[in-house]
Amino acid sequence: MRYLLISISLFLVISCGSLATTKDLTSKTNNETVSNPYFSDTKTDYVYKAKINTGKNNFGGLLIIKKIKEEKHRVVFTTEFGNKIFDFEFSKESFKVNYITDKLNKKLIINALKKDFHLLVSEFNKSELQFNTNNKTIYKTTLNKKDNYYFISKKTKNLTKIVMASKRKEKMTISFQNLEDHIAKKIKIKHHNFNMTIQLNYIN
Amino acid sequence: MHKIVYFISIFFVFISLKSTSQIVELSKQESISVKESIIKTSKKTTSITNKFIQSKHLSFLDKDIVSKGNLVFKTPNLIKWEYNIPFKYSVIFKDNQLLINDDGTKSNIDLSANKAFKNLNSLIIKSVKGDMFDANKFNIAYFKEGKNYLISFTSIDKSLKSFIHKFELTFNSKTFHVSQIKMIETLEDYTVIKFLDQKINKPVSDAIFTN
Repeated sequence: MRYLLISISLFLVISCGSLATTKDLTSKTNNETVSNPYFSDTKTDYVYKAKINTGKNNFGGLLIIKKIKEEKHRVVFTTEFGNKIFDFEFSKESFKVNYITDKLNKKLIINALKKDFHLLVSEFNKSELQFNTNNKTIYKTTLNKKDNYYFISKKTKNLTKIVMASKRKEKMTISFQNLEDHIAKKIKIKHHNFNMTIQLNYIN
Repeated sequence: MHKIVYFISIFFVFISLKSTSQIVELSKQESISVKESIIKTSKKTTSITNKFIQSKHLSFLDKDIVSKGNLVFKTPNLIKWEYNIPFKYSVIFKDNQLLINDDGTKSNIDLSANKAFKNLNSLIIKSVKGDMFDANKFNIAYFKEGKNYLISFTSIDKSLKSFIHKFELTFNSKTFHVSQIKMIETLEDYTVIKFLDQKINKPVSDAIFTN
């Protein structure tokens, strides 16, 4: 009986301690750079119609992303009418709020938006660990003190998914779909610790 | 060689003078008369149906973001703003409600509880009708631009100023109806909404304003 209890608790500790994303996968250390090619062209205006669902509410708008120079992105969200909701500038080391509407001008909200959109546009990411499955390679990277897992299809070599996670739990998933000429025509951002989904459809 | 440079610069100065000289500020008397005509026209307007082309200019983009759709207004304060290209999205302002249809996803916002949206609603109706002459909210200046009148409304109201620096409404000088709205957010970024196929005071069914 005692052994059974010990093994059950051991089992619980082990299963609680492992992340579903990489559970049962063998890992190996690496020193590669994994790149996100979807916002990497300085000549392209990346304009998306955004639909945001929070369970209770729906919002819409336009998400506009532009690589303004090497490792520097401008990320702007506007209403359909054209009014700016926020206007951020990301680079490897710095973050600048050019504008944010009064209602969202709170540290907590800005930090949450910063984390999500920085991960979305971050182009070159140093990987420390690599996991393998039959059809994909998963690269573990770090950004803003969060672990991020980049899913690369073995067949197409395309980046299909990024999962942001803490040590034990998935926090957010970004899925890239309808991939054409290094543009993700559909992007889905889903938060796992609160009810929020953002759907992006490329319109430009 | 110097001579050529000289003539080219003269030429460009002339061109730029010519294009700026098309906008002339109206005298006080002319301004008053234009304002009266606009208010008079606005009071007689029972409905407006427009097609529109919207261009969003952001300084850091290579191209403007262009969208197209229809705008319908009916007195006293029904408005439907509908985008068809490149996405389907419409909003209806009706009885203190904002009815949104985002490509099939429908939602309502109660305006009576939301001061910001309520102000936006009245601002949209005023700008479409052209009657925005509120000296508490705007510094107003009157110009003639080619055949049209251009009236600029620079925000002085603090809450408004934080998201729109200036509105520029263009009026047809014969009909005194709004033919273009330019919303200037900052000196670099703006949105231009151009109205086409304008139909005034034609019967408009209430059924249009349902989601």
